[in-house]
Amino acid sequence: MSTADIRQGLLVENLEVAYNGVPAVRGISFEVNAGEAVGLIGPNGAGKSSTLLAIMGATARSGLVTVHGNDIAGLAPEKVVRTGLALVPEGRHVFAELSVADNLRLGAVARRDKSTYKEALEYVLDLFPILRDFGHRHAGLLSGGQQQQLAIARALMSDPDILMLDEPSLGLSPTAVDSVFEALDVVRKAGKAVLIVEQRAEFTIAFSDRTYVLHDGVITLSLKPEDAENVDVLTQAYFG
Amino acid sequence: MNQFIQSLVDAISAGAVLGLAALAIGLVFGVIRLANFATGEIITAAAYSLILTWDLGWYVSIPISILVAVGISLLMELAVFSRMRKAGPATLLIASFGLSFLLQRVYELIFGNNVRTAPVASGLAQSVEVGGIRIQMLSVTTIVLTAVLLIALQLFLTKTSLGLQLKAAAADFRTARLVGIPAGRVIGLSFALSGILAAAVAFVLTVQSGAVGPDFGVRITILALVGAVIGGIDKISGSLAGGFVVGFATSMLAAWLPEGMTNFKDAFVFVLVIAVLLFKPSGLLIKGRGVVRT
Repeated sequence: MSTADIRQGLLVENLEVAYNGVPAVRGISFEVNAGEAVGLIGPNGAGKSSTLLAIMGATARSGLVTVHGNDIAGLAPEKVVRTGLALVPEGRHVFAELSVADNLRLGAVARRDKSTYKEALEYVLDLFPILRDFGHRHAGLLSGGQQQQLAIARALMSDPDILMLDEPSLGLSPTAVDSVFEALDVVRKAGKAVLIVEQRAEFTIAFSDRTYVLHDGVITLSLKPEDAENVDVLTQAYFG
Repeated sequence: MNQFIQSLVDAISAGAVLGLAALAIGLVFGVIRLANFATGEIITAAAYSLILTWDLGWYVSIPISILVAVGISLLMELAVFSRMRKAGPATLLIASFGLSFLLQRVYELIFGNNVRTAPVASGLAQSVEVGGIRIQMLSVTTIVLTAVLLIALQLFLTKTSLGLQLKAAAADFRTARLVGIPAGRVIGLSFALSGILAAAVAFVLTVQSGAVGPDFGVRITILALVGAVIGGIDKISGSLAGGFVVGFATSMLAAWLPEGMTNFKDAFVFVLVIAVLLFKPSGLLIKGRGVVRT
């Protein structure tokens, strides 16, 4: 693996997804490099979640997806995780009847280097200190914001190079959203690539190094952080 | 009073064995949405193994029956169900019906239509008197065996990484895979555990009857499926509790229904099933309308 491959975390080329013959994603291309955050915004049904699930191998797709230059075509989701990708799914999907500690333990099942488990655990508990206090509590008893923190921590336990998040702000209070994005900034600065799918355009554009607007399965715009406060650009992003 | 206590112990024992059978079904259902009707034929295979090898000694016969049950369970998964991963629960259920009937005919072909007999652990069929109450040794053994298996299963599911993976997969299979839990591993594990539980059920039933025929496991599987649905097949604990309730109720009805009505004990149980399906279709132990799985 060359230095260029490591820098280029995730490459997506001409990705297409269809459900029962109805296209959901129509040939989109983008890349997410190490240490940068990329946003993917757009209205409901634009194909954002389908894009993430297709990258993870959880839904059928065509097109090229590489991680560090390696084609991951045909890999099952559990094998995709072992290439260095991790997804925080929409709705968090923590294992509600398991403890916080067990959720984190399960996140480490796909770790490539098992010997650094304790360091990884300390890292995520430092990132989300509230989880340290709730180790034995059932995940289902946490608040929405705490569950989101747990879902991100669980994903980080697999030691991914590329962290993908589907609507991490969904249903969270403004304070909880702030703490989630603060943590994501730390993750980005630690050199990981971050791909965020969001409906909250302003927030995502301001946070991400680049943000793509998805409409009907097609990327229609590419935005920079300074576009976050440009109402015309945001209007165009959502209403075309 | 004595008669009531005797029937209570018997009912707990009957509930325990049906709880184990329902758990064998619920474990697999939790992971791949398969209500495996052919669990009955795993029980039958384990029972044949016990009957045919009992002469070699219990320490040989019981391990053989467990190995046979686990082997057949895994073989079902590899040969049939692993090829139907994208099929819905209804298709899988029908496939398991087909497999069940096929295996019954295979057993008939190999072992004949008549029952095979052997005095499997016949000492357990005796009764002991405790404080003026006669209690069957088998009932006590069944309760103890079930308790030991449940404690072992609970420890496995909560204390080991593999067990946690299985528990997570049973709760949310899709997310489990996205987290990195290998699908094949947890599915295989669920079938293997189902086989072990089926072997335990076969042991109890074989001691009870001392005989096995091709359709040996069918009745208990029907009742176990009913129990799993009543308790909430979406949850492992729901299947177990539902199976227990059905077994307990069936046994109590057999003991206390007026003479002439005992033949209808199963009918009363099925009235209970219809009532649950009408008023709590997700199962008695599931909050709300059950888990939505994608």
